Amino acid sequence: MLQFWATWAKDLLVLRRDRAGLLILFLMPAVLVLVISLVQNNVLERSGGSDLRVLFVDADGSPFSRQLGERLGAVEALRLITREDGAVLTPERVRTLVAAGDYPCGVIIPPGAGAALAERVRALAAQIGGVPGPPAVGGSEVVLCFDPTVQGIFRTALKSALGQVLLGLEVEAKARELSRSLGGGFAGGALGGGDQALRMLAGERLLTLQVESTAPGQKPTVPNAVQQNVPAWALFGMFFIVVPLSGALMRERHEGTLLRLRTLPVSYGVILLGKIAAFVCVCLVQFSGMLLVGRYLLPRFGTPALELQGHLGAAFGLAFCAALAATGYGLLVGSAARSYEQGAMFGAISVVVAAAVGGIMVPVYAMPAAMQTLSVVSPLGWGLRGFLEIFVRGGDFAAVAGPAAALLAFFAGSLLLAWLFLARAGSRGR
Amino acid sequence: MEPATTSEPSPLPLVRAERLSFRYPGAARAAVSELSLSIAAGELFGLLGPNGAGKTTTISILATLLRPTTGTVAIAGHDVVRQGRLVRRDIGLVPQEIALYPSLTARENLAYFGRLHGLTGGGLRDRIAECLAFVGLEEHADRRISEYSGGMKRRANLAAGILHRPRLLFLDEPTVGIDAQSRHTILAHLQALAGEGMTMVYTTHYMEEAEQLCSRVAIIDDGRILAEGAPAALVDGAVGCSNLEELFLGLTGKQLRD
Repeated sequence: MLQFWATWAKDLLVLRRDRAGLLILFLMPAVLVLVISLVQNNVLERSGGSDLRVLFVDADGSPFSRQLGERLGAVEALRLITREDGAVLTPERVRTLVAAGDYPCGVIIPPGAGAALAERVRALAAQIGGVPGPPAVGGSEVVLCFDPTVQGIFRTALKSALGQVLLGLEVEAKARELSRSLGGGFAGGALGGGDQALRMLAGERLLTLQVESTAPGQKPTVPNAVQQNVPAWALFGMFFIVVPLSGALMRERHEGTLLRLRTLPVSYGVILLGKIAAFVCVCLVQFSGMLLVGRYLLPRFGTPALELQGHLGAAFGLAFCAALAATGYGLLVGSAARSYEQGAMFGAISVVVAAAVGGIMVPVYAMPAAMQTLSVVSPLGWGLRGFLEIFVRGGDFAAVAGPAAALLAFFAGSLLLAWLFLARAGSRGR
Repeated sequence: MEPATTSEPSPLPLVRAERLSFRYPGAARAAVSELSLSIAAGELFGLLGPNGAGKTTTISILATLLRPTTGTVAIAGHDVVRQGRLVRRDIGLVPQEIALYPSLTARENLAYFGRLHGLTGGGLRDRIAECLAFVGLEEHADRRISEYSGGMKRRANLAAGILHRPRLLFLDEPTVGIDAQSRHTILAHLQALAGEGMTMVYTTHYMEEAEQLCSRVAIIDDGRILAEGAPAALVDGAVGCSNLEELFLGLTGKQLRD
């Protein structure tokens, strides 16, 4: 243990002396989260949209609901999904998939929605025409449920598209009723002329939209740019540990220190573990710092404060797994690269690419379909998914078990490869 | 010129290498070929050879850094392959590179390597002070290595190699790239260590240095020993050679090595 702690303390001391490296590690993610949060808070929520995968359940099966599905499916930039793994979707399944973040949103047409609309149209026509008719019935609302991480532009785009389709269907239903009461004509009659027809068409909305943001039983959240950006950029900053860590390993290899370490009566595995522990500690300090930035600094610039509404223990547990993944990757880059410059360049660029693919910069649901598929291979994407479970959906340990396991597997794989590279270099006396 | 062997090693050698060969993966020829060595305790043994002769590879095998392709090496009776951990307790290494952390001070570097050797507390502090005083760096102990001159770095490198009082010290060109004053100081330190009975295996390109310092030398080329013995005896036994450098050039040739 003496050797483990000696290496842990030495690596922390070396890092502390590297002021430029520390600035990159701590200041860069803080500046990024500040800038990106401000930009997204002010601009992104009001700007355009993108392709959305929309789960669609027709539990009604009426001509009305079929038309709604057809017209919604014809809307550009929406992709309607009615089956999942070969099975027809149910309202419960849609809510579960959306709440889990597997899909950004879903539309549910409840049973009886078409019949209720027809009844309400007839009741309205009777009421306006002063003719005794059926009593007004309560219409079933079309349900639109969102993953809480889906932000303003996409919500607005979908709500607008669905609202237009519903309005069109409602107006058509009213016009049909109008036509029927006029006996096939459209210029006066039972409804008593143009004014009443206008009241019928432009009056009370019979079809309404119910918007859900969370699944039943889940803690209500207020998603905003800060809730997403703080954990996202904290992850990015943690993975940037790859640059100083791979650099430290490269320097040990090139400056002869590694040779000296390998002639000591201590396993090199113990020395590597001490190094990993030191860099994991730095990552956790980084993560804590970023939470404090989100909680106390960002509100000073006009953004909402970070709400630590999820399970904080789970957040730090996941941060620990992400820190291990980042240090494992740093060791892999440091052991595989042939020069300091190569390691630093490859390490930095690969982290930026993994961040972009993993949804750190642009939410995964806003990416083209091919990129969404690619996003599943990014460790930063796994980490982000876990953090969003906690910070946006109020998840606990169980909710982040999948991403945590993936990060640990990545760590183990990276460490194994790094060990093989080091053993290979060792067999050549390097 | 015929290979020469002029002195017999001690009957109980600290280092015994038998028919040692090593080929780097993918290399066309062996870096070390059928090399046998015997070094007695207390000897200051010089390994001399042109670039690429196999000096560093030989030291790397003896220091447990490389596994020999064939042959055996025992240090203090322990096999370097099967009993590497035991061997590493007895050896120290002063590599060609300044194998220290530049952003740490000399004291911090020695403290780290000392702890890896299992030294702690007051014993470690005293030993660090002793080593720094030995190499004349006690007044600069708390300066970072990156602020040292080339000669000071070489001395700190030596201090790190002897911190744990190894029985056998490997020095791979410890005086390369430094001024005459620093070189003179380091050679004096090595003579002092030899006087204390430390066994040393030493590589260098400076023949006069080896002639002055080593009790025995081996001239190697293409991974084979061409001549072995006390420097003066080797020169005396070679026809037409007045010093070790002439003997060296006579054995290894004057063509440039890459």
